[in-house]
Amino acid sequence: MGEISAGDKNVGDKNVSAKSVGMAVDLGGVRMQNPVNTASGTFAFGSVFEGFFDVSRLGAITLKGCSAEPWPGNPAPRMCEVPSGMMNTVGLANPGVAGMVEQYGEYLAGLEGRGCRVIVQAAGHSVEEYVAAVELIEELCPWASGVEMNISCPNIARGGALVGGTPESAAEVVRAVRPRVSRPLLVKMAPVRVPEIARACEAEGADALSLINTINGMSIDVRTRRSRLSKPTGGVSGPAIHAIAVRMVWEAAQAVKIPINGMGGVATWRDAAEMILAGATSVTVGTASFYDPTCAADIVDGLAAWAAEQDASDINELIGAFEC
Amino acid sequence: MTAAATGLHDFTVVTNESVADGLMRVVLSAPDVAFQMEAGQFLNVAVPGDASQILRIPLSFSHADAKAGTIEIVYAVVGDGTRRLSLMSPGDASTVVAPCGNPWPLVEGSRRACVVAGGVGITTVVACARMLAEAGVSFDAVVGAQTAGRLWGVDVLEGLGAGSVSVTTDDGTAGRRGFTTDALADLLAQGSYDVVYACGPEVMMAGVARLCRDAGVACRVSMERMMCCGFGACGTCNVAMADGTYKSCCKDGPVFGAEEVAW
Ligand SMILES: Cc1cc2nc3c(=O)[nH]c(=O)nc-3n(C[C@H](O)[C@H](O)[C@H](O)COP(=O)(O)OP(=O)(O)OC[C@H]3O[C@@H](n4cnc5c(N)ncnc54)[C@H](O)[C@@H]3O)c2cc1C
Ligand SMILES: Cc1cc2nc3c(=O)[nH]c(=O)nc-3n(C[C@H](O)[C@H](O)[C@H](O)COP(=O)(O)O)c2cc1C
Ligand code: FES
Repeated sequence: MGEISAGDKNVGDKNVSAKSVGMAVDLGGVRMQNPVNTASGTFAFGSVFEGFFDVSRLGAITLKGCSAEPWPGNPAPRMCEVPSGMMNTVGLANPGVAGMVEQYGEYLAGLEGRGCRVIVQAAGHSVEEYVAAVELIEELCPWASGVEMNISCPNIARGGALVGGTPESAAEVVRAVRPRVSRPLLVKMAPVRVPEIARACEAEGADALSLINTINGMSIDVRTRRSRLSKPTGGVSGPAIHAIAVRMVWEAAQAVKIPINGMGGVATWRDAAEMILAGATSVTVGTASFYDPTCAADIVDGLAAWAAEQDASDINELIGAFEC
Repeated sequence: MTAAATGLHDFTVVTNESVADGLMRVVLSAPDVAFQMEAGQFLNVAVPGDASQILRIPLSFSHADAKAGTIEIVYAVVGDGTRRLSLMSPGDASTVVAPCGNPWPLVEGSRRACVVAGGVGITTVVACARMLAEAGVSFDAVVGAQTAGRLWGVDVLEGLGAGSVSVTTDDGTAGRRGFTTDALADLLAQGSYDVVYACGPEVMMAGVARLCRDAGVACRVSMERMMCCGFGACGTCNVAMADGTYKSCCKDGPVFGAEEVAW
């Protein structure tokens, strides 16, 4: 989609060709062949994208958040479009860890074998539910390279406040889950109090941080005076939130030593490159996959070409290379 | 029958013209996918013209011509996306994600069917009628619109060999004044249908479903939902089922058995 294509040998007359750029990155122990990942809830369980491109070209995919028991999610309408983005109130509908493994386990194990890392995401409404979800993942997903814990879920016992809404509550749930996860543990943060919560998660042993999740928003139909969603509020995603996401990724990267998995409105290699410069080790494509289903694969090529143009022989040289 | 995988395909506009008040017909040249489309499936269309409107627009089709490589879509101009589509000119290019969803099923052993269209539901109902005609299933049709000026498809259905086409309008400016369900109730009382196929506003389909249940006739409906992807990636297009679960409109539907849906 961008003007730089990976086929270009020496973009900008530099000495490095896109093909020779080292693209492998290490996201807290998840060893990815390139920095491109997909966002939980925007890539289902991977298989529906095989009709668009060879999914094994990606560095990793992150699965839809799964809880120990299946969750039905919210009533329709669950989405509406807003300028340069969308809002959703899916409500973490998912088939449960066991249901996911039954339907997609074989495909996902195969995808790992083809070189693409699979990150399973755990969802819960309480510390106990997260623990139950990761225990099931440990038991049923031997093929997974990493576990991501989405702490942007509402805590039912605390009146719907975010599980990871404060450094204390984030620390509590990471502390409970960490000893039960034998693989790299990523924590998916809500876009609130980023530096403090990032430090709290790092202190409790998180291997990497994923951010940002959607930003809470509202959209009102002025004729009916009702929400355009089945709930008053929903999560805003897409290019509309990109600039905010880059800032938050940069803040997190300043605050901690563990690697950052950056996301929020990434739709082109340029957006992905910004994330890397701001300090992201991997870059994750979300909403863009809905309207541009080959976007993630195109970004793999675009990033390599950009790295070559920047005269970097390895993409890792560009992580956090932002100059202010 | 295994459905073709949903993919990304180029198209160019062949013609794009008004066919009734607020209704347009666009013919796309899309030889890579036209031959794969089965009646009842839909396309998720990228409509250029406003970079801040990022999502595609889901649209059914009325005719996919495998030989010519073209797809005909009749659409209502209801908002910004469909307005931009109405401004596309012959030769303009973009992409579709297709084929999306499941086709209308031919119900085994059925010899007589009735197709019911409300508003722009006519698009996929015309595709259904063509499928029935090709399969040798005889059918009647009911077509409803708000007013005479918004009617489209009656002659097309007659051309496809409909036994009868009953027209209803909300204001009585064409055919019978009233709703498609009024006309269907009479047809069900006389006719011996094996199956009814319906697409239109949800209240209409709920009414059709009730009439068919009471008459003991099988019924298939095509549902609409707000959608992002159209191929099962986002989970935003849920339809509530009678058994208390949700199904995905784009992946499990858009065609459902009327008895499955929680109306
Ligand atoms: C499977 C499927 C098949 C469809 N087939 C056709 C078709 O053949 N012809 C046709 O004219 N329309 C069809 N639609 C509806 C069409 O997708 C919407 O009218 C269109 O997306 C509106 O876009 P817009 O930007 O013009 O309107 P917006 O400004 O987004 O909205 C205008 C109005 O349209 C309604 N609307 C928006 N999106 C949808 C949607 N996905 N489904 C139903 N209503 C919607 C809104 O609630 C609002 O009232 C279909 C929808 C689905 C889900
Ligand atoms: C429809 C939809 C469903 C989502 N589901 C989840 C989820 O299950 N778990 C999660 O951590 N984030 C979920 N997200 C958030 C994304 O993973 C991502 O953090 C966010 O959308 C920002 O990235 P984007 O702007 O590229 O989409 C969802 C987003 C969307 C649009
Ligand atoms: S529209 Fe995305 S899953 Fe149906």
